Amino acid sequence: MGAQLSDRVELERVLGLLLSAGTYVAVVLVGLGVAGLVLAGRSPLGPDVAPFDPGRLPADLVAGRAEGFLWLGIIVAIATPAARVGAAGVGYALRRERIMAAVAVAVLAVIALAVLLALGTG
Amino acid sequence: MEVTLVLAAGGVAAGLFGALLGLGGGILIVPLLTLGFGAPVREAVGVSLVCVIVTSGAAAGVYLQRHVANLRLGMVLELFTAIGALVGGLAAFLLPEPVLAGLFAALLAYTALSMLRRRLGDAAEAPLADGAPILEPRTPATPMAAWREALSGQDYRVRGLEAGMAGSVGAGVVSALLGVGGGIVKVPVMHLVMGVPLRVATATSNLMIGVTASASAIIYLLRGGIDPLVAGPTALGVFIGATVGSRTAQRVDVRVLRALFVFVLLYSAIEMARRALGLA
Repeated sequence: MGAQLSDRVELERVLGLLLSAGTYVAVVLVGLGVAGLVLAGRSPLGPDVAPFDPGRLPADLVAGRAEGFLWLGIIVAIATPAARVGAAGVGYALRRERIMAAVAVAVLAVIALAVLLALGTG
Repeated sequence: MEVTLVLAAGGVAAGLFGALLGLGGGILIVPLLTLGFGAPVREAVGVSLVCVIVTSGAAAGVYLQRHVANLRLGMVLELFTAIGALVGGLAAFLLPEPVLAGLFAALLAYTALSMLRRRLGDAAEAPLADGAPILEPRTPATPMAAWREALSGQDYRVRGLEAGMAGSVGAGVVSALLGVGGGIVKVPVMHLVMGVPLRVATATSNLMIGVTASASAIIYLLRGGIDPLVAGPTALGVFIGATVGSRTAQRVDVRVLRALFVFVLLYSAIEMARRALGLA
């Protein structure tokens, strides 16, 4: 019982750290992008920005373009909760809590379905 | 450059207000972008979802590390909020813009009236019971009872799991359609229907917001519904405002702020309704 409780406490601590770290990384990346916008004197309400294109991301980042940092920050922010679910699933699987591990897999499956449906109906 | 800073300042105000009044900043982002900057409702919702994920992420991390949130219950319910968000995210691209504006106007009016009612009832309101105390030994008789037991906390027992799942689907749809965290649905369902203490319900709702909003934000992202140049400054501002607000909330008398907030919500509701009816 005591070991179970300390396991739970440890899992929650690790997941909390993961969420906080992911969020702060996202905020720093977005902050760099915003700084880039301000320094370049660009208006957010200017001509339309190209939709998200993963293929352009590395080139934008290497070139130091604001869009690259903004997109990466947004992607990290959106991916962090899913990473928390994945980590929780692994934690539960290691503790042989099969139902909770299955719940984590189901949540990730719904997120994956969202990706597929968005791509398929876009 | 000015517009970037104005967007960030608007985000700071939304995050600050939201944190001080315990509502989350999401409900102010969509009116800010649509009424203040002329953005389409759908694009404003996409930006708002990013803001909601960022602000809830930091708070949820702290709640987990302090063991306030119920992780098991949150994960089970977020499966259903994510399903709702998936449906809502797809529906958002099918519904005409005026319908989205009308739905948002209804949400704003409902939130404003809820806050007014709470304010008027402050004096007479009895303190909410923080979950039913467990008086009998835990001896689950059925698999469902054992499952409820596993989702319960040390000093409260979860009930009404089926109602909680149904409410979570609804919260997910609302979140995805309107770009809010959905706490306005989840917290009352968990606290009043499922018997979860208010503090735990609030923390668990916060934990679920990330996954819920992510499931729909992915749809907005891949279908061109998120403008990074607008989302970036706004999300950064909301994050700063929410961080400052959560650290000063205990020291601020929110009565005047709450009255101002109700006024802003009602004004925004009227303007969104006018937009829905093609009058703005």
